[in-house]
Amino acid sequence: MTEPALSLRGVTKRFGGLTSLDNFSLDVEPAEIVSVIGPNGAGKTTLFNVVTGVYTPDEGRVFLHGEDVTGLPPEKVARQGIARTFQNVRLFLNLTVRENIKAAMFGRTRASLLGSIVGSPLARREEVEKEEQVREALEFFGTRLQGYRLDQPAYSLSYANRRRLEIARAMATGASVLLLDEPAAGMNPAETKEIAQIIRRLRDDRGYTIVVIEHDMHVVEGISDRVIALDHGVQIAAGSFDEVATSPAVIEAYLGKGAAVTK
Amino acid sequence: MSENQTGNQPETAGESGRGIGTDEWVAQHEQRLNQASGPFAALGQRWLQLPRGIQWLVPLTIALLIPFLTSNDYILRIGVNLGLFLMLVVGLNLTVGYAGLLDLGFVAFYGFGAYMYAFVASPQFGIHWPTWLAIPMVIAVTALFGLALGTPSRRLSGDYLAIATLFFGQMFLVLAVSSDAVQFPWMQEPVDVTGGANGITNVDPFSFFGFTFSSMTSYYFLLLGLIVIGVFATLRIHNSRHGLAWRAMGEDALAAQHMTIPPVRMKLLAFTVGAAVAGLAGSVFASVQLGVFPSTFKLPLLIMLYAALILGGLGSVPGLVIGAIIMVVLPEVLRFPDYSNWLFFIVLIVAVVTTLKSWKIITAVFVSTLAVGFAANGIFLALGVPYLTTPEWTEGPLAPILGAWVFMPEDRLLYGNIAFVLLVVAIAWMTTRTRRTRLIALPFVLWLAVFTWEVRLLLEPSVTRQLLIGALLIVLMAARPQGLFGKPRVEVL
Repeated sequence: MTEPALSLRGVTKRFGGLTSLDNFSLDVEPAEIVSVIGPNGAGKTTLFNVVTGVYTPDEGRVFLHGEDVTGLPPEKVARQGIARTFQNVRLFLNLTVRENIKAAMFGRTRASLLGSIVGSPLARREEVEKEEQVREALEFFGTRLQGYRLDQPAYSLSYANRRRLEIARAMATGASVLLLDEPAAGMNPAETKEIAQIIRRLRDDRGYTIVVIEHDMHVVEGISDRVIALDHGVQIAAGSFDEVATSPAVIEAYLGKGAAVTK
Repeated sequence: MSENQTGNQPETAGESGRGIGTDEWVAQHEQRLNQASGPFAALGQRWLQLPRGIQWLVPLTIALLIPFLTSNDYILRIGVNLGLFLMLVVGLNLTVGYAGLLDLGFVAFYGFGAYMYAFVASPQFGIHWPTWLAIPMVIAVTALFGLALGTPSRRLSGDYLAIATLFFGQMFLVLAVSSDAVQFPWMQEPVDVTGGANGITNVDPFSFFGFTFSSMTSYYFLLLGLIVIGVFATLRIHNSRHGLAWRAMGEDALAAQHMTIPPVRMKLLAFTVGAAVAGLAGSVFASVQLGVFPSTFKLPLLIMLYAALILGGLGSVPGLVIGAIIMVVLPEVLRFPDYSNWLFFIVLIVAVVTTLKSWKIITAVFVSTLAVGFAANGIFLALGVPYLTTPEWTEGPLAPILGAWVFMPEDRLLYGNIAFVLLVVAIAWMTTRTRRTRLIALPFVLWLAVFTWEVRLLLEPSVTRQLLIGALLIVLMAARPQGLFGKPRVEVL
């Protein structure tokens, strides 16, 4: 058996008296797509924040390809290979599309400040590589983020394009694991369909390991190899989409006690 | 199948249609708005079409020629001041313009550098290091000082960082003023470290391998060289790895951190590099002045630096150059009443021309303003108000026209004060009216402004200087909130 790409072991995170994640364990295999569902406040985003280093877990460890990344600050975790998008899109709005992606390549490049000023061979080589990377990351999204849009500030993009750019930016960090926080939120049905295809292609074509938080069950059904349901920081169901969707515990969590029985 | 679908989604913009309603048209809405504004637009367009190298060559050539066109030490002195100011703006731009760290202690780095140079190159302690040794030392020590003052930024941001750095800046000032009798425990007598309020005098001028910087001209060229390097470096940093990291952090620190950018290291780097530049500027300052005085490093300088940065457009390189020129040269120009008189009318006319935009309306407004003036003149005469024909009024470049147009009452204070109050009320009233009403009222208000200016404000040159700079800044910021060369920005919430 291969080593899991991302592995959480007994992770617990408390905020005062509230236990947001309770002894939570998860193994994500390389090139697997795992969806995390659950009602609001279930601990889904806390899970992402613990993995990316925004919070240090009170108990438990987080491993990336077998390496312990628990307690590392976000920039170090990102350099190790976990990149994320945000529930409420957080682009560098006044930077252009191109600059947004280049900025995310900070951790993969080495040029010093002085080197960039005088134009050292390293700095120049890296500039060429960055341009190449920008092209490669954006090609993935078809023509939507190319052409004249490359040099448009991010604030001028449509909402759906902002979400796409955020994924492109996460790809540019060079990460192997992507954490996508509600990538289809606020999108129309056509765009939702497209984002689901993009997520699948991220895995099929580029080999990313992906963890998705998503409320749109069509998306979850369409992309997931495995679905995890959370409630009050505890995993209440896991397995294929059909298994989780019909699990009484999940229905109860969403609809309240008794709902599963009346159905 | 998935590949095909994403690639070929119906795309409204692009090859075929670029008309109203398409994506691209909407996206470029802002550029078009900025383009077609006012009769000066054509000139600006032509300038923008020039290659960037030439755009920079023009100001550089002018700067190079100035010392050959004039031997006037006063003008070169302004040039040197501008040079020092520009260096500070270049340094501050890194911290504030790029990294978005509100550093209100920046002037302390300038002062620190100046004092450091004075310590090792003046009779104060009897040390006279050679310049090639003193300058690197000053830069290194000031950079370390910047690193130390930058440490609060590890935890603080925004307003809180501003308060902390402001504290450090003021503390530096207090220390500089009060350290003229420091009692070290291992010494008998108190030691005069900074010279107190009198500062340190007889600082050595720069001297490299036998060439001593003795004239203003030599410092002018030295600073010009430093600024060319500074501006070039800033241009290179703008899109470099570090520049982008700073700008990303300034936009959204948390997102930047998640995109592999280490916030603490980048913040401290911004503080350190900014301080190093300021330290270099400080040592040049000390040697130009042949002395260091604490009063130089007070708050007004900091405010001027920020004004220059914001006026030019935060983070824009041509902007900071123009901003610095305006903030340094303008106050000097306004020392001469004639020039400030000219500037007043130029500002007024430019403001009217750029805001009204149509030549027809502009002409109408100016003609009616003239009419209002003559009418007012007539009313004053009819009422028998005593008036002046003093020489101070009939002299000056605009006298022949103005003498017949603006009424000059004998009691300038009384009428001037009344007019001033009326003017303020009228402007406040105008802001609440519709455009039509404003247009009708404009000639009266314009005349009132000129009347107030000529009758009252010209009596107080020092006040009018400040007032005029303030008015100019307000007009500029109202016309272009993003600064002269800044791009329109959106605030991240």
